[in-house]
Amino acid sequence: MSSEKLLIDVGSTYFKVSSASGIEQHFRDFNKEILDDLTYKCGETIHAYKKEDIYICSSANGGLSTLIIGITDSFSLKFATNIAFNSGINIIDKVIYQNIEDYSIPSDLIDVVIVVGGIDSASNIFGEPLLSYLDKLKYSNIVYVGSEQDAPKLQENIENLVVLPNIIDNRLHIVEENLKEYLTNLYQLDIEGKEDIKNLYTITSNQIYSTPYIVNQTLPFIDTKFTVVNPFILIDIGGATTDIHYSKDLVDDNIVTTNEYDRLVFKKLGVYKSKESLIFTAKNNEFVYELLTHLKVTENIFEEQSEKALQVLMQLAIFLVLCKMSHYKQAYINLKLLSINSIVLTGGITKVLADSEIEDIITFFYKKILNSNHKPSVVMDHNYDIWTLAIINNKG
Amino acid sequence: MKVVTGVVGNDIHVVANRLIELSLNARGFEVFNLGVNTYLEEFFDAAVETNADVLLISSLNGEAEGWSREVKLLRSKYKTLDKLVMVIGGNLVVGTADAETIVPKYKKYGFDLIFHQVDLNTGLDTLEEYLKERKIV
Repeated sequence: MSSEKLLIDVGSTYFKVSSASGIEQHFRDFNKEILDDLTYKCGETIHAYKKEDIYICSSANGGLSTLIIGITDSFSLKFATNIAFNSGINIIDKVIYQNIEDYSIPSDLIDVVIVVGGIDSASNIFGEPLLSYLDKLKYSNIVYVGSEQDAPKLQENIENLVVLPNIIDNRLHIVEENLKEYLTNLYQLDIEGKEDIKNLYTITSNQIYSTPYIVNQTLPFIDTKFTVVNPFILIDIGGATTDIHYSKDLVDDNIVTTNEYDRLVFKKLGVYKSKESLIFTAKNNEFVYELLTHLKVTENIFEEQSEKALQVLMQLAIFLVLCKMSHYKQAYINLKLLSINSIVLTGGITKVLADSEIEDIITFFYKKILNSNHKPSVVMDHNYDIWTLAIINNKG
Repeated sequence: MKVVTGVVGNDIHVVANRLIELSLNARGFEVFNLGVNTYLEEFFDAAVETNADVLLISSLNGEAEGWSREVKLLRSKYKTLDKLVMVIGGNLVVGTADAETIVPKYKKYGFDLIFHQVDLNTGLDTLEEYLKERKIV
């Protein structure tokens, strides 16, 4: 922790303030604007620091949504999906262009549509069916990252289309930087665009970053603070989302990228704001009732508002996230969970659950789902060191 | 002329794969080498992304036959691969069998040219002639 800086993390449920005297954590008052709430609860601390010494990150908005239109599963859609997830974007749907007419149109407003397909020497990939689909779709931004030969025609026909270099190079390898930068900036603008967050610039002169982004950037330095053995995963259970960050070694994938760690954001697996969807997901998991019995509670716990209920929800969140990453649920990514040496937990969970309660869930998961006695070491970030390390490393 | 190539299935004959790439390059083809351990879907997807003219699958350990049974069905799901020339070569059977038995079988699976235990250059000469005859070159 820095002694000369004041670090603030605005989450969907809590905000945390890290200063020379330690870390304060406050439950947010949703009837107040963030700045008013923050000033009311920690005004004295905040006023003791200069604007340039205050660093803020936020995960309060839960990220952007995207729909990806590509031409194959193995390349264009796979690459764009990987980049979107790594930029903290939630994927609403993926559309294979050749069957675009068979897809239903999502009714929600999509924050950004990604269109991708073909290496640069391929041409005439997209045509009328794309335009007709887009006509019916509600979206705020659209970006094209496919074959450069199709770009002029698409730019002529699609309003406000942003054209970036192809994410597929001429050897069919992924090129992630341009799209990643675009999506990260969009996410950043979204955060800054929220009135509540904008107001925070009255107390800081530094850029406000998204929390998952800076946490991910810090993972290569994690062993400076913790005894973590690679490969590892980091689980951050929050009020609105659960983020998982993982070493690339855990993925059986032939995508060659420059990043050592990827991350996924599960938008609907939080213990406060998205509690209902977490419970819904839990009820649809055939092992959850067995888990509840193991925890010596019944499903009535879902209706309760107690410390015990919160503990159970957090334990469920750990279990469900691990399920989503395992072969049990075929998802975007299946991690090699039997190769994990450490599981790092950060966020509010470290204040609610004891090490033994977390180990209990992890053991249950490995036994039930993977039929294994594998026991990765559990590392608890009790003092939010990962976040403070992250924000300090990203401040420049 | 674009060629997508690679070794199908759980086959790691990387040297043969590299030789095929070098030989195709020397003959002026634009090669997209997917390497070893490649699934059928990846071959077809690569052909779509590159707008390839030829798909050249190789197999050395003989397991191609198992995979090839899926070729017709899988290809029929793609709407833009009608003109793709399908070639397979290497050792196309587990155990022993002669070309007279194997070639008709693979024709039925949906391949245009089949080279079972045929020298690489002979196979590629045949491919070039085939493309010329059909005015694909």
